[in-house]
Amino acid sequence: MGKTGLVFFPAFDWAISPTHPEREERLLYTRDQIFEEGILDNSNIVEYTPRLAEEKDIQRVHFCVPNVETQTTSAHFISAGSALKLGDALMAGEIKNGFSLVRPPGHHAMRVVHGNRGFCNINNEAILVEYLRKKYNIRKIAIVDTDVHHGDGTQDIFYHDPDVLFISLHQDGRTLYPGTGFVEEAGGPGAYLSNINIPLPPRTTDEGFLKVWRKIVRPLLKKFAPELVINSAGQDNHFTDPLANMLVSSQGYAKITEELKPDLAVLEGGYAIETALPYVNLGILLALAGQDYSKVVEPYYRREELKQTADTTNYIDRLINYWQNMFSANPPDKEQLFSGKMLYNRSRNIYYDTDNIREQQQEFVYYCPDCPGIYQVISESDKTFSRSCGIKGISIPIYACSKCEEFGYELWQKETKEKVYDYYYLQDKKNDQYLMEQAGK
Amino acid sequence: MLIGIDIGGTFTDGVVISGQEVIKAVKVRTDEEISFSIEEALKQILTDLDPQKVEQVTLSTTLITNLITQERLPQTGMLLLPGPGANPEQLNFAGPYRVLRGAVDYRGRVIESVDLNEVKEACTYFLEKNIHHLVVACKFSQRNSSLEKQIVEYIQKYYPQVKVLASYEVSGLLNWVRRANGAFYTLATREASHVFQKYINNTLTKLGLDCPVYMLKADGGTLPINVALRYPLETIFSGPAASALGSLACLDEKATAVVVDIGGTTTDLALLLRGKPLLAERGASINNYPLPVRSLAVASLELGGDTSITIEEGKICFTKRQGPALCVGGPTLTVTDILVYSGYSTIASRDLIKEQVEAIAAELQLTPEQFSEQVLELFVEQLEAKLEAMFHAWEEEPAYRIWQVLAAKKQRPQTLLCLGGPSGGIGKYWAEKKKWQVIIPQHYAVANAIGAALAKPTLKVDFFADTERKTYSTNIGGLQGTLLQPLKHVEEAKKFFLMVFKATAKEWNLAKDMPIETLYEEGFNIVRDWQTKGRIFQIGLQTVPGIRTFIKEERSDG
Repeated sequence: MGKTGLVFFPAFDWAISPTHPEREERLLYTRDQIFEEGILDNSNIVEYTPRLAEEKDIQRVHFCVPNVETQTTSAHFISAGSALKLGDALMAGEIKNGFSLVRPPGHHAMRVVHGNRGFCNINNEAILVEYLRKKYNIRKIAIVDTDVHHGDGTQDIFYHDPDVLFISLHQDGRTLYPGTGFVEEAGGPGAYLSNINIPLPPRTTDEGFLKVWRKIVRPLLKKFAPELVINSAGQDNHFTDPLANMLVSSQGYAKITEELKPDLAVLEGGYAIETALPYVNLGILLALAGQDYSKVVEPYYRREELKQTADTTNYIDRLINYWQNMFSANPPDKEQLFSGKMLYNRSRNIYYDTDNIREQQQEFVYYCPDCPGIYQVISESDKTFSRSCGIKGISIPIYACSKCEEFGYELWQKETKEKVYDYYYLQDKKNDQYLMEQAGK
Repeated sequence: MLIGIDIGGTFTDGVVISGQEVIKAVKVRTDEEISFSIEEALKQILTDLDPQKVEQVTLSTTLITNLITQERLPQTGMLLLPGPGANPEQLNFAGPYRVLRGAVDYRGRVIESVDLNEVKEACTYFLEKNIHHLVVACKFSQRNSSLEKQIVEYIQKYYPQVKVLASYEVSGLLNWVRRANGAFYTLATREASHVFQKYINNTLTKLGLDCPVYMLKADGGTLPINVALRYPLETIFSGPAASALGSLACLDEKATAVVVDIGGTTTDLALLLRGKPLLAERGASINNYPLPVRSLAVASLELGGDTSITIEEGKICFTKRQGPALCVGGPTLTVTDILVYSGYSTIASRDLIKEQVEAIAAELQLTPEQFSEQVLELFVEQLEAKLEAMFHAWEEEPAYRIWQVLAAKKQRPQTLLCLGGPSGGIGKYWAEKKKWQVIIPQHYAVANAIGAALAKPTLKVDFFADTERKTYSTNIGGLQGTLLQPLKHVEEAKKFFLMVFKATAKEWNLAKDMPIETLYEEGFNIVRDWQTKGRIFQIGLQTVPGIRTFIKEERSDG
């Protein structure tokens, strides 16, 4: 039987601020529970030491404004690096699956990073995906996000990538941060239906959570046939979470983990640090290791109080219906979605709750019949009482055709001459080259 | 003068150290009754020595290890209170157990109470099986021992014939399986420890020795013999600790080296890093059961000088020791014979085995030189594979803090320190082929006894305090209590813990001026509803480990 790899990095010396939910104490009780259980002495769980990610690993995913150094601390490099460490162990065949039980989290970090949003600066799962694709030539990867908040960062990063299937189960955006993650957000024209949102009504229980997994997510994964499955294992769907309104238990989390069988799970949010995290983390770890988790029951668990109402069940059934219909119909092809135009564009405002930043963004994707096409982004941010900063980023996809690769560099030459924005970035994922230029220098 | 005695499988060694010199060394055959061997070694040491000049005696014994590995223990049962969590069936408990109701959580709050009817039922169950030794282990009992205490008191009251021990008294380690196993073996070896101590005390009186006696621990520290009675398990696996310390004594305080102790049947590998032996990440295990005992990270191989060489399907293979080497009258060709044949060892004449070596080589269509080379290569290859795994485990030690991850990259040692009979030959070969620096200490034959003699008493205490619940606890068995002061910041907590530490140090007979070092100190805010409700402190203190002195010696480095 294969082993389960664990990197446990509670970052006991790192916090956003002393009373912020993302503080030193967050994984303290989880540490107590997991160590006290004695399960780390079991031969089928191997603990790995964390490592630092490299700057390049971050540039492969993000346009950090003005640079990676400004947007990160050592804790971010370690949190991202821990996932990479397990990725390497998985690919080397040392482990059958792995759990990166680390903080700080990352799934709200988008491609462009002006600051911290939703407690995240850089996206650990996206960094992992791009690293694995670059290093091991993996093509198709699925990310299933079971955090209560919409994984808007991961959605943003892979929105135009047909080879990464992103599925997010979360509390409906009309009732919770970040206010996105509706079914209509289903991927760019070149990657339609590779982004699946399942916005669940507040007070969804294990029953509803597992039902959408079995009726929507599982069939979708089967159809997509990814080479690897990554789980963004947020734990704030828990019935005691202080920042959300769901009714999922550690049993529900363990069950979905057992059935999903992720190759790698990466901790995301979850701020019921006493009542949920010790039990949910333990449940997930046991489920990954193929051990009995049936006795992982919260002391505060009252089955009768965690009953799903008929309304909630009906709503969830309609949601399931929606996705089942979408997938039984013939989806429009790329050409139809670009509707004859050579350029797709989208404008948005993005809000950074932690750092109080408003970002205005315009994205462009160039149509290419042979590859996902060149991606371009113009982004301007303004912080309260400080000068705005404008950037332009060009991204050449990892599986770009040679024409697009050439075109990407042509654009870079042309744009950097114009010097309209403060910073220019070229992200050449194909050749693993990352360039930055500051206007006027 | 310091006396060190190390009990090995075959021989018991004793040394006397005065200043920086080994002034006397004795060797006696190890008797089945270990105390006899100690007595015999002490007698030989004291033939021309004034007992009044001896400052201390330190013993490194295999007493407890042997009792456990040979399963010469009274039958012992376990009462387990797992509460929520992993299924006990999938955990590694050392004895038969019954699972009971009652649970404590990570903060030490009782979340389920004990059902005494269940305790009664469990006692009846074990008594019917003629088991009269019972241990009680509750998850998080180090944070709150009340449930374990309640059960122990009940058993003492209604089943006075039963010997019972609670896990919190043995260890406060954050790992209930290890605590439970620790309590299990502590209870099971307690009587034998008593008998042993009594015998040793009588022996010392008889010989006119009235100095303090210490037992060497698995982590290379020592423990006064009367404290060792309470924590007999701490004295298991002291042999590798003795050899690592003995090696260190021949080097210097910043030494980084691999200690290779090659015996007849097994080889032990240990690491010295900047003058400190590497400890096992989680602690020792015995019979595959994890224990709450700090120990050296030791890798053992079933490979030694007497390992015999066989040919299977045209390939060279190593098999278990059949007896001594051929060149000293043994039954089969061994690694030692090859060392003799290739000139790496001079313990016997090459002519005695020339014929056999040549015959086997011919069978393999090799020259005798090629054959010898291949045997030694295979031997070193296996040692190196084990060493690689050991380095890997060291490099993969978990880190939970940023500073630990950012700490300097771990440098692998380039020096081999060889102990034991065959290690000279293997060491020379290793140095020639693999460019290691090889050191063979002058006193390599009694290095373990030197290590025992020079070991220092050590005490390491992990403190934990929760100011919201006003409780504190430690890893030292049973030491937990209520906070009377508020403990506002880390410095205050440290001051309080230092006081507790010194009280324990006194109980352990440690010198008052013993330097104490802080291993870690951290405070966590307990924040609920955006309000700070209290603090959790984690502080680790220990007496500075190491050895009393380094030995001056003349040696030839390979």
